[in-house]
Amino acid sequence: MTDDPIAEMLLRCAAQDRAAFRAIYSATSSKLFGLLIRILGDRAEAEDALQEVFTRVWLKAARYDGARGTGMAWLVALARNHAIDRLRARPQTTAEMPEDIADDRMRPETRLIATGELARMSTCFDQLEPDRASAVRGAYLQGLSYTDLAARFDVPLNTMRTWLRRSLLSLRDCLNQ
Amino acid sequence: MTDPARPDDDDDALAAELALGVLEGEERAAAQTRAARDPAFAARVAAWEAHLAPLADQVAPVPAPNLMPAIEARLFAQDRRERRFRIGALIGAGFASVAMMLLAVAFLWMTPAPAVQVHMQTADAATAYDATFDGFKLTVVRSAGQAAPTGQVHELWIIAPGKDPVSLGLLQDRPLVVGYPTPPAGWTLAVSVEPAGGAPAGKPTGPVVMATEITL
Repeated sequence: MTDDPIAEMLLRCAAQDRAAFRAIYSATSSKLFGLLIRILGDRAEAEDALQEVFTRVWLKAARYDGARGTGMAWLVALARNHAIDRLRARPQTTAEMPEDIADDRMRPETRLIATGELARMSTCFDQLEPDRASAVRGAYLQGLSYTDLAARFDVPLNTMRTWLRRSLLSLRDCLNQ
Repeated sequence: MTDPARPDDDDDALAAELALGVLEGEERAAAQTRAARDPAFAARVAAWEAHLAPLADQVAPVPAPNLMPAIEARLFAQDRRERRFRIGALIGAGFASVAMMLLAVAFLWMTPAPAVQVHMQTADAATAYDATFDGFKLTVVRSAGQAAPTGQVHELWIIAPGKDPVSLGLLQDRPLVVGYPTPPAGWTLAVSVEPAGGAPAGKPTGPVVMATEITL
């Protein structure tokens, strides 16, 4: 636990330590804000979302379980889940989705400097077909739904689902190796 | 769809879909409900969240404004109320509800108010509710669209300026009727999407899909 300062701060938040709460905001808000802007595509909405996310961080800190992942992974999941709830509550706007999935492919320089978990993830992504890897990235980084992905890749929704489920399970098997 | 040699793969794929966020509507709601009730499934979802988290490292950080004052004001004002509530609980729930009724009666006594109509609709106007305060009770009917998808529910909230939302009940197919005096202008009625059964902690957790400020 000592090598995960975010996890330690979460444990202190769970014990009602408000100084730890401020510290966790300083340490992680830029990363979560960048992610929220990326998924929501709107800075003002991302600010609302960030406020909501940190409110939940305090309220739910006791549910963080260090055995299940790093503190940062838990925060990222909390932020993404909230952003995706917001996206899904929007009226359907599939036609207006940005067409920049290609930008989400790992840039070569990113690949070179990637270390640890990201490097492993990168290796496992390379084993997927390029289209399928970019579908997983589009879902993760832009909050695309199955409907959005099927439209983007111009395949029936069930086909997209079969592809994506298979890709996710092979990713899992690769990451668990 | 999945390797038949791995019977857990269906559950694991569903957990991955929930963690990744590709599900929509009823399917997303059903998977969220399952994660809330089934610890084994929740553990799979958490494992997927941890697996996928390195992808977030590809997004450049953006310095965030300091939202802590607003966040702390919201959270720690709530703390004070909860402490009061615990004291209230010691006095006894029965006594508290009698006191609440007396307060409500006193409020009604002091504020004879004409009927007030409040129209609420989603941004795309696909779903709408009409609320009527007649001075003694509030009646809310859906005037357009559908109830929330299976596994979710529309919850009605009233918000005094600068205060936290207070739940007035769940909006389903039948009209909602609750005893409530006509609130002053400037209060807001809002509807959020919550898990079936309503917001678990009495505070909105889902997206607010409509909100209208009351004008008299």
